[in-house]
Amino acid sequence: MKRNPKLIAAVVALAVVLLAAGPTFLPPFYVRVGQLMLYSAGLGLAWAILGGFAGYASFGHSAFIGIGAFTAGLVESQYSTLPPPLLLPLGLAAGALSCAILSAVIAYPILRLRGTFFAIAMLGVSHVGAEVTNNIDFFQGAMGLNFPPLAPAGMDPASFFYELFLAGALLTLLISWLIRRSRFGAGLLSIREDEDTARMLGVPTERYKRVAFVVSAVLTGLMGVIYAHSLGYITTDSVYRDDTNLSLIVYSLLGGMGTLFGPVIGAGLLVFITQVILGRLLDFHLFATGLLLVLLILMAPGGVNGLLNRKRRSA
Amino acid sequence: MSLLEVRSLSKNFRGLAAISDVTFAIAEGTITSIIGPNGAGKSTMFNLITGYLAPTAGEVRFKERRITGLATNRIAELGIARAFQIARPFRDLSVFDNVRIGALFGKAGPRDVEATTWRAMELASIAPLAELPASALTVGQLRHLEVARAIATRADLLLADEPCAGLNPTETAAMIDVLRQVRSNGVTVVLVEHDMPSVMEVSDRLLVLDAGRLIADGPPSVVANDPKVIAAYLGTPDAA
Amino acid sequence: MDLIAQTLADGLVLGGIYALAAVGFSLIFGVLHVINLSHGILVLLGAYLALILSDALHIDPLLCIPPVMVALFCIGYVYQRLLIQRAVDRASVNSMLLTFGVALMLQNVMIWLFSPDMKNITPSYAFNSFKIGPVNFDAVRVSALIASLILLSVLAAFLRYSSMGRVIRATAQQTMAARLCGVNVRHVYALTFAVSAAFAGAAGIVIGIILPFSPNDEGTWTLNAFVVVVLGGVGSPAGALIGGLLLGLVSTLTAQYIGPAFPNVTMFLLLVLLLLVRPQGLLGNAFSASR
Repeated sequence: MKRNPKLIAAVVALAVVLLAAGPTFLPPFYVRVGQLMLYSAGLGLAWAILGGFAGYASFGHSAFIGIGAFTAGLVESQYSTLPPPLLLPLGLAAGALSCAILSAVIAYPILRLRGTFFAIAMLGVSHVGAEVTNNIDFFQGAMGLNFPPLAPAGMDPASFFYELFLAGALLTLLISWLIRRSRFGAGLLSIREDEDTARMLGVPTERYKRVAFVVSAVLTGLMGVIYAHSLGYITTDSVYRDDTNLSLIVYSLLGGMGTLFGPVIGAGLLVFITQVILGRLLDFHLFATGLLLVLLILMAPGGVNGLLNRKRRSA
Repeated sequence: MSLLEVRSLSKNFRGLAAISDVTFAIAEGTITSIIGPNGAGKSTMFNLITGYLAPTAGEVRFKERRITGLATNRIAELGIARAFQIARPFRDLSVFDNVRIGALFGKAGPRDVEATTWRAMELASIAPLAELPASALTVGQLRHLEVARAIATRADLLLADEPCAGLNPTETAAMIDVLRQVRSNGVTVVLVEHDMPSVMEVSDRLLVLDAGRLIADGPPSVVANDPKVIAAYLGTPDAA
Repeated sequence: MDLIAQTLADGLVLGGIYALAAVGFSLIFGVLHVINLSHGILVLLGAYLALILSDALHIDPLLCIPPVMVALFCIGYVYQRLLIQRAVDRASVNSMLLTFGVALMLQNVMIWLFSPDMKNITPSYAFNSFKIGPVNFDAVRVSALIASLILLSVLAAFLRYSSMGRVIRATAQQTMAARLCGVNVRHVYALTFAVSAAFAGAAGIVIGIILPFSPNDEGTWTLNAFVVVVLGGVGSPAGALIGGLLLGLVSTLTAQYIGPAFPNVTMFLLLVLLLLVRPQGLLGNAFSASR
């Protein structure tokens, strides 16, 4: 990128400060919208590590939201006597670990599939996760799982979770950025462009794909844990959702597939459209997301970023 | 020490002997061209050396080490790079980033990546194109990119598969120049090529394949006058 | 012994219905090379239309099959011609995304119109059953199966013997050559999609009389179809039948012997296994390489 890196860093820092201060001056509705934007941005960034960088577009990433959330909830309910400042890290660790292990195991068979087959297989993973969580009593998916309240006394819970989502989104952004400028990231991009040629040039394609898959899964799971806590009570349908599966892809499409900030821009835009513009028409969010995607595909397959910036992205 | 040695190499495809008992050695720092009529087995030869195909018999040695049967990417790691006739650039990445992949995952150390990338682009005469997306390049430029990316891996041996195919005379001359520069830089080159004037001009040595057999091996001037070679290309007077 | 016979019989009956439910998807994949993620919602559309018709006109749901097929044929033709074709022109994953988007849109509309509650179409012979040997057969399921087999045969005959069927097959195998022979490929694509949609709708009716359904099931039916195609091979009714029967058997056997929570899990594991080991399906691809 020929743009000034110091300028970008300054802008990002300023944005972070403004965002962090958000709850102090925004009305409650916008704090909740902010939560959703930050949550979606974090999810989108995590998805894009595998989908945007490596080109393996997963159609079922909400599986990891679900796995993270339910693991955290079940573990935390075993240790419910712990105080909140210990409970949250426990939940995060549990969620991250389960996502890491499961994704590492699935990675071997599933990453041997390419393109559309990979996408559908991941959709299958998401549906299977939902089924298992719903049908096996141990997971309490059908009954629902409660999460202990975490907000410190005196702090508005909405603001608390806002800051947590901000932290999560920043973490994912940081990791994305680090990956992008590393040798690993360059390797992922080459895998996206031409996996066989990359392999011939010495890129350890299988290993890199697996790492990207696991990192993506863990970060998604972490965001899912925070989300579950912010809801306070979840069922299978709260977390294993096809519209989330789709939205994660749309964020990158809208904001620019494969770019660093693309998912953030896309998430911001989509949440803005569905929550703010269409806010009252709650029943039609699915419809709106679907429609947006359809329009996008028909009109601008490069995403907004692609529209604005016809010069191609460099690593 | 020969950089590359091929000993009694044979490859059969269900009864069709694509390569029969071929033996030769390539010296370091040379440009060798493999020529021969269509169907002679030239591409098969490359595929056998780089590990895409396993030979039916015989062996391939690189730097005195047996490489027959190793996986393609392992052979690439050892220092053999291949530039394909049908270029496969990373279309959405810039030229610089394309070549950089070669440097990043080749034998250059992490500190030398940038320098190796620029060097490779200069040798392939594409440094001015660095910022352009690969999708914007012409066919000729893409071939140069193939070569640049291959040598950015700091390979010791470059196998170039018909680098001049489909290029006009100007582009062909440019490509030949690149190969010369590559050789001057210590990379041994083996080409498969049909463009005879270029081949004659640039090669230190010619290997002639006909129907899977090696029928001539020597400097261009000698090989060009070898009656077996002439017969292979043009037929004998009696066969008219 | 009786239990296993019953389970197998149930599996075969279910399988025939799965086959019908998947054949449209298979055809679209084989001819247009598109993975139609709105397949499930088209199936459900058929079910809901039949529900409305049979309630309003008090006729047997299976009699609704012809009008519903006609309706879905028209919808499918327009849908493909106007929307999907445009997406396909750009890149292959775009058609998946587009159909996914449309599926969500329609799902939302159906939830709004019909509520997310499970619904059923109950034919008049709903509680009859009969026995053959030790095995019980439910009248509704059997009539559903018969309807499925008839429809599958009709489709197979159409593809094999009619001139349009030949054109469709030719286009699937060699699109460019077909164009050069004067085939209006866009029309063929739209027609194929229309036929598929019609059969998806018919499948919806057949499913609607034996299982409860809701707009939220759409993903399951699409994935089901995908598994059937991977099992049996792309593009042929015979492949869909084989795949469907296998899936039906796996489903009932798993539900009976491992647990009712597990049929889809097993199905999914089977899917991944097959994609890895034999992506062209057990019968291979009826048209051409599917990857």
